Amino acid sequence: MFIRCPICRKEIPDAPDDFAERPFCSRRCKTIDLGNWLSESYRISRLLGPEDEFEVESGQN
Amino acid sequence: MPNTEKRPSDPAVYNAESISVLEGLEAVRKRPGMYIGDTSDGSGLHKMVFEVIDNSIDESLAGHCDQIDVIIHNDGSVSVEDNGRGIPVGPMEHAGKSVDAAIVILTVLHAGGKFDNSSYKVSGGLHGVGVSVVNALSDWLFLEIWRDGKAYSARFERGAVVKEIELLGPSDRRGTRITFHPDPLVFAITEMDFEILAQRFRELSYLNAGVKITLRDLRTGRDRAFDGEGGVTSFVKLLAQNKASIGELIHISRDIEFDFEGERHVLGVQVALQWTDAYSENILCFTNNISNRDGGTHLTGLRTALTKVVNAYAAEGNFLKGHKGTLTGEDIREGLVGIISIKHPDPKFSSQIKDKLVSGEVTVLVSTVVSEELGRFFEENPKSGRLMVEKALLSARARAAARKARETITRKGILDGLSLPGKLADCQERNPEFAELFLVEGDSAGGSAKQGRDRRTQAILPLRGKILNVEKARLDKMLSSQEIITLITALGTGVGEDNYEIAKLRYHTIVIMTDADVDGSHIRTLLLTFFYRHFPEIIERGHLYIAQPPLYKVKAGKKEVYLKNEAALDAYVIDNAIDDVTLEIGDHGVSREVLAELARRGLRYRAILSNIARNHRPAVIEAIADDLVREGLAPLLARLDNAESARTYGEDFARRVEAAMDRARVTASIIEDAADPKRRAIRLQILADGVTQTELVDAELVTAPEITELVRVREYIASLGGSNSTFTLRKGDQVLQPPRLVDLVEHIGEIGRAGLQIQRYKGLGEMNPEQLWETTMDPARRALLKVRVGDHVEADNVFSVLMGDNVEPRREFITQNALNARNLDV
Repeated sequence: MFIRCPICRKEIPDAPDDFAERPFCSRRCKTIDLGNWLSESYRISRLLGPEDEFEVESGQN
Repeated sequence: MPNTEKRPSDPAVYNAESISVLEGLEAVRKRPGMYIGDTSDGSGLHKMVFEVIDNSIDESLAGHCDQIDVIIHNDGSVSVEDNGRGIPVGPMEHAGKSVDAAIVILTVLHAGGKFDNSSYKVSGGLHGVGVSVVNALSDWLFLEIWRDGKAYSARFERGAVVKEIELLGPSDRRGTRITFHPDPLVFAITEMDFEILAQRFRELSYLNAGVKITLRDLRTGRDRAFDGEGGVTSFVKLLAQNKASIGELIHISRDIEFDFEGERHVLGVQVALQWTDAYSENILCFTNNISNRDGGTHLTGLRTALTKVVNAYAAEGNFLKGHKGTLTGEDIREGLVGIISIKHPDPKFSSQIKDKLVSGEVTVLVSTVVSEELGRFFEENPKSGRLMVEKALLSARARAAARKARETITRKGILDGLSLPGKLADCQERNPEFAELFLVEGDSAGGSAKQGRDRRTQAILPLRGKILNVEKARLDKMLSSQEIITLITALGTGVGEDNYEIAKLRYHTIVIMTDADVDGSHIRTLLLTFFYRHFPEIIERGHLYIAQPPLYKVKAGKKEVYLKNEAALDAYVIDNAIDDVTLEIGDHGVSREVLAELARRGLRYRAILSNIARNHRPAVIEAIADDLVREGLAPLLARLDNAESARTYGEDFARRVEAAMDRARVTASIIEDAADPKRRAIRLQILADGVTQTELVDAELVTAPEITELVRVREYIASLGGSNSTFTLRKGDQVLQPPRLVDLVEHIGEIGRAGLQIQRYKGLGEMNPEQLWETTMDPARRALLKVRVGDHVEADNVFSVLMGDNVEPRREFITQNALNARNLDV
């Protein structure tokens, strides 16, 4: 299995298919990623359109 | 003549007089474990060999031996032979009697030259008990000595002499051979393991440059030689193989003098260091060839020097800009593979098994040597130094990030064994194989799902993606930390470092059910990414699905139909029209079935054309299709092969495109490919509505699969005897003559839509519980997409584009709303 760590981008060209930390390179990067989810750092954004006017509560970044 | 009290006059002479005797051998057979280690698991057995070879290594350290041969014999005995000076022979006084020195060495515990520092400078010995222990624990041992031009032998059984030292005659050989057979009354296992011996011998040969060790196994015919070439540096290369190196290998080899208990001694320091891209630190420590698993003062000295020198180097080179404080030892040593091997005349250990060196003077000595040598290395290899500091900085950053993440994880209480979340409407089924979990976007849809579900097997967890309106210009969608915790708790597996157990998964069917709009697809992307990163097994085992709620509800009279997408709607509309219309191609009417088939293909044709219209003018594409239908692919490609025919064809082509378009001006020119004369393209300049556009017609476009498919539809029409402009569509009195296939389909669609009530669902919330059950949740009727990860890297790339710092591709993604589940390899 080819792994490119989502956190540090390190590549492991032939990791075993049951590599314990997949798709991360290491336990540390996996922990960092979980921390990112729990601190709500992962967001997908899109531009506001006219149809959004009444749908969204305003919030702060 | 008692010799034990006084030092030998010439320290370099090793003879019967230099042997000091400490105590007897009685206890060894009674309590072998104390002396040789475990006698049941094989570890003690192999230490028997190591004890014997350590004597030979001692001889090589003293500079008298460069070859050691070890043989495992067929009967399970092992012989160790060296070309050293030979164990001393000759009478010496022991316990008031005159005994041969060799007999004392073999039969008296703690006897041996190593207790007299002036004879050997340093010596190893795993337990420091010497070969007498091996003798005591062997049912027989045969000793051969070649020394001072004479050959001797002696034989022992279970430690007792059965044949005294005997002079065999003159010999020009030199050395000692000890052959022993481990006592089956002592050892539960007496089979020697080739690999265990080989590993230790490799280690010994690396640690003791200049000695060659061979190992032969007569039972199997295997043999191996260890010449230790390269010494500790080769050893480190071996340890660092399969890891990417960072910077050059560092080798330090120096003897340093020191005063200890009033005498001048020499400490030998061998260090080899290689940084790698690994995360752990792996430094092996040896004192006089003995592995010190828990390190000790030599390791402390090495670490101190590393921290000091690397920080000094980093500060000097101004590498620490933007980094708070200094680099810690941990950061510096991340990924470091190394060996430190010292030779000390009188080392002190914390325990019999020598796992930890405690000789206090060693710390400063090692630190001094390493500091000086490492400082010089950095001066001479600035590139390696810089790479190393960069690596340490990365480690520092990653370590800080992980620490922060761990704090967050702890603070959120995710590891605290939470009870099932209140938001979860669980099912009655407890067998995960039959239990389903629906992750439903939005509270109202969650409510409908709760009412509509089969509560025996279907659990509902409503998730509400958190939305932030950023600066009134952008919507940020995320999963709140509470949603994440709720989800993990519902799954039942735990998450993270030591709490994750996939076997505890509570549902083997997990269905993501989101709206068919952009926000829905974003929530789905977030969920898929979270599953992919932290529960890869759930995807790999095929437990994760995506629901396919209908996009349309169509009402005809009292009949209601749900349709999952645009294509299904088109097909339905056409079907609805067919009963009311008739079609003639040329002068012939076609049957209802042919009309249905024609309409179906026409829909496909229109879909391809609108797809291709993103990059090309439909008139150009249709002109190409015309030519392909008329004359086939090969002649068309042949035209492009010749510059003159390409020009003629191009001009004709431009005229036809011009005629097909409304008020456009089209001119053609030829572009030659400088690299490949066989490749040329017709460039069309199309001026329409005051804008000039360029189209390239070349072999690539002509052979595009989309065009091939269009041609197939056109050929089908031709096989019905028709071509463009020959359709006549009738509905009652109404007569239409659509010029092209797409127009025909358009007309049929209009007719089909008449009388239909078409409702487009904007969200799951618009369906009532029964509708949700019927269309999306009922196992008998629903269609689920199974999520698969075909290409792990690709899957995460989509997410990275959506999340990433790279603003441009992200904006493109966002404005195109291009994300769909397929991008994530669903």
